Amino acid sequence: MKRILFLLILCCQCSPFATAFARDEAHPFRLQSIQARFVQEKNMKILARPLVSTGSFTFEAPQSLRWQYHQPVASLLLMHKGTVRKFVGRDGTLVEEKGAQLDGMQMVLPHLSDWLNGRFGDTDMFKVASADEHRLLLKPQQQGMARLISAIDIIFSETPGLIDAIILHEGSDATTTITFSERILNEDISDEVFTSK
Amino acid sequence: MRSIGAIVTALVLVFGCADRGRDLSRLPALSGEFAIEDCSSLFPARGWQYVHSIDFTMDNGYGTTVLGVTTLESARIRCALLSVEGFTLFEALFDRDTGLAILRAVPPFDTAEFAEGLIADIRTIFLPPPGDMHPGLTQDGKKICRFTTAENRISDIIIADEKCPQIQTYSPDGLLQRLVSGRDCRRSQAGFIPRYLELHSYGRSGYTLKMNLLRTDRIP
Repeated sequence: MKRILFLLILCCQCSPFATAFARDEAHPFRLQSIQARFVQEKNMKILARPLVSTGSFTFEAPQSLRWQYHQPVASLLLMHKGTVRKFVGRDGTLVEEKGAQLDGMQMVLPHLSDWLNGRFGDTDMFKVASADEHRLLLKPQQQGMARLISAIDIIFSETPGLIDAIILHEGSDATTTITFSERILNEDISDEVFTSK
Repeated sequence: MRSIGAIVTALVLVFGCADRGRDLSRLPALSGEFAIEDCSSLFPARGWQYVHSIDFTMDNGYGTTVLGVTTLESARIRCALLSVEGFTLFEALFDRDTGLAILRAVPPFDTAEFAEGLIADIRTIFLPPPGDMHPGLTQDGKKICRFTTAENRISDIIIADEKCPQIQTYSPDGLLQRLVSGRDCRRSQAGFIPRYLELHSYGRSGYTLKMNLLRTDRIP
């Protein structure tokens, strides 16, 4: 789960990187918050057609995240003030997964401030394999991570400070593409968003 | 993280332990007979793919939710488990002639015991049981298609008009091992498939799978 959350955090952190990396290094964009919808398309050889999920997320610096799937299975990840909780839809309501203590998140948080400041170099989890102003390719540093994710593509928007999509590669024949839309930047976010269902 | 590890480890254990069940209902005796041509028509069709959300719950209350992909080919079963976030946890191919091949598995799903237990659950839910079939009636009048293998493993398909059939599997010594019941069964090109089904596995580490059908797709 900490790997999944790492990837979610990664999604939130790409915007400042895009700015710092590309167009206006003298006046880097500072991300305070972002809200967006996403469509997630899973492709793998076994699937007769892609498995499509829809959801939304809210991120507020430095480390608050609400990542929610609406379809086909409702689920919710909340991260706030060092606590991570996971809920899954059962019988029409979101139920906290019993025993899901996601304490591995502490590993990820130290990276956060670097990413917020546009420093998106190698970490102990991923290294930058290639990069230009349109795309960044990350490869896992550790074999354990590589068994789950073989690479991450981050596709930047033409609009500075935004990303269009993230593609997670699981080996040679499975990808998960998360495409963002309806992004709202730097609005004030209530703490309740990260603490209530 | 440790707790999640415990849940999935338990999941691995219970899938692996399902065949070592103890307990519960004894095999009912059959008395009369009834006419039926083919009980296999009460199962999903081959040549189709089924995607479910699966709520897994152990008897102690712990559990998790995954997505299950099951493809029934003419002589093979392909299956995959995905996390609700979309990560591939497990993928395998079961071939009637060559057996089980694990194509992808992340720890702790990367054991033969887990794969074999999962395939056994899938076969119970999706495929007509192995063995010779004899129709019969229980003392209270339930219609049953009883399949018996050479090893005396018994599977009962309990037929109720306008309801989903119930499946019960028994060990050679007559102990109930798995019970499958469904709701909202519909007959379509994809065969006879419930929109919702539950599998209860009995034994030292009992568990329940609650499966909601998300979609069906014809495969080439």
